[in-house]
Amino acid sequence: MSNDSELMKYNDRGEKAISLVSYIIMGIAGLLALAPCMHVLSKAFSSASMVTSGQVTFFPRQPQMETVSFILTETMFLESLMNTLIVTVGGTILSMLVTVTTAYPLSKPKLKGRKLFLILYIFSMLFYGGMVPAYMVIKTLGLMDTYAALILPFIIIQFNMLIVKNYMEGLPESIEESAKIDGARHFRILFSIICPMSVPVIATVSLLYAVNYWNNYLHAMLYTSSPGKKTLQLFIYDTIYSAETMIEKLMTSEATNVSVEGIRSATVVLSIIPIVLMYPGIQRFFVQGITIGSVKG
Amino acid sequence: MFKITGCQHKRGTASLPGTQQLIFRKSFLYMKENGSLYLMLIPGFFFLFIYKFIPLYGISIAFKDFNIFLGNNPFQAIAQSDWVGFDHFQRLFAGSQFLKVLSNTLIINFYKIIFLFPLPVITAIMLTEIMNKAYKKAMQTLIYIPYFFSWSIVFGIFYSLLGSYGPVNIGLKEVGLDSVMFFSDHKLFRGLLVFTEGWKEIGWNTVIYLAAITSIDPTLFEAAWVDGATKFQKIIHITIPGLFPTIILMLIMKIGHILDTGFEQILIMYNPAVYDVADVIQTYVYRMGLGQMDFSLGTALGLFNSLIAFILIISANAASRKLLGRSIW
Repeated sequence: MSNDSELMKYNDRGEKAISLVSYIIMGIAGLLALAPCMHVLSKAFSSASMVTSGQVTFFPRQPQMETVSFILTETMFLESLMNTLIVTVGGTILSMLVTVTTAYPLSKPKLKGRKLFLILYIFSMLFYGGMVPAYMVIKTLGLMDTYAALILPFIIIQFNMLIVKNYMEGLPESIEESAKIDGARHFRILFSIICPMSVPVIATVSLLYAVNYWNNYLHAMLYTSSPGKKTLQLFIYDTIYSAETMIEKLMTSEATNVSVEGIRSATVVLSIIPIVLMYPGIQRFFVQGITIGSVKG
Repeated sequence: MFKITGCQHKRGTASLPGTQQLIFRKSFLYMKENGSLYLMLIPGFFFLFIYKFIPLYGISIAFKDFNIFLGNNPFQAIAQSDWVGFDHFQRLFAGSQFLKVLSNTLIINFYKIIFLFPLPVITAIMLTEIMNKAYKKAMQTLIYIPYFFSWSIVFGIFYSLLGSYGPVNIGLKEVGLDSVMFFSDHKLFRGLLVFTEGWKEIGWNTVIYLAAITSIDPTLFEAAWVDGATKFQKIIHITIPGLFPTIILMLIMKIGHILDTGFEQILIMYNPAVYDVADVIQTYVYRMGLGQMDFSLGTALGLFNSLIAFILIISANAASRKLLGRSIW
């Protein structure tokens, strides 16, 4: 907080101590966050002998690219990544459409039946049927082993809808009023006026949905069975446990630098890359959005 | 269609009382005029209905002798199965697993709340005390990236770190100690769950509290400075009380989720060796209810879970409303 720093005066030892402690502890926290990632990064790129003899700590020893290329070319990694991408992009777009079109009417205090809808949405947030009934629904609808099964159950997250609704409630009514006088209908108002004004909340909620779709493991585990439909998270999990079997199949001379631990690490590292690439976008919208969200309450 | 006269009186059938008729007509007129608003509500509600309300019908599986092979699809099977009342619940509560699973759920969540809930508040406060903007941004960034990692990734990372050939165990062996099987050790596994959840989520929660701190009225801090308050006093008397609403909100939400937090984490990280300390309600439902196809038991336990969670969150919210005037809706 810049206000605070301008006014801060180091006028007693306690002040210095608190500051110092903060620097040190946050430094440790940062290291704790970073170190495990550095470790897997190093293992993914170190030679098999270094990895299995346990000499890799935080930097690669005898760097090689074979493990990574093995994962990319000879496993289902890329297919799984594609599946996750399809689910995430398709899901997020659909979710945002459904969420925004639901939040807008509900943000109008005069809407008849508004209370009823809100009660239904909030109730379904608090009480749900459970895993088994949800499974039965998907099975009955014939959606087993489809992308739809991975997208549709999550398509509207009530909490996210409420965030958008709250934000829209805070927008000035005057702009809408003048648009109505000019003869604009609701759909037009929503898409041409409200949405551009709601960019921060739309960005934040899109991010929340996207993270949800990207990281979801349970639905993929429950609803997919064919190997070609695995999502990335499922692939990672399976690879961790089947790394040893994979090595056995690799008894050719090409595999000199691929180790069991290397396979696990490389898979993890390759999966982290998309997240790191998205990071600047996350940083820009998310922190801004959370500030807005918390101010709204 | 009827005409709206200058004094807005509406005629209707003579049998309805005047005011009710007026309200009904007004609502109807509103709905006609704003039809597109209701159109907008349809998609969201459609999906809500299918994925949240229809499964409620499936709850009846807990009260039936469910045979999934009856009829053409599971829902017909539900309709065609016979009622058995509370038999499954009796079986559930009498079984030895139930108490174990319930206690694991409560204990693990208790540990997580005690150890992990205060930390983000403390880190948020510490971050605001850091003057150097670059350092602050760097540390903040580092600690909250893990939030975006899936549990598969976090599992992979820690399995690498703590596995038999990982650096931790190698280090232990070098100083002459035995290697520790973190993932199959009864005493350590819960600690592992708490630690990895902290590693993943503290950064995210810290950012939330940081945002809340920035929305505290700066004039409060100025006034305190004028009065000669030390940094420590400012923290105790301004920052923490200012965070109170956010803390309460987060706490209520945590309590409401007490019965299913950590499900995906535990599912991914556990293995048969640690079932007895880490098997929680949801993992048991997953394994027994779906995996082993004991659908009725799984539904019964799931229903129990949902009911208790519902009661918990309603009570926590009511308590907060009574005691502190804050509610989440």
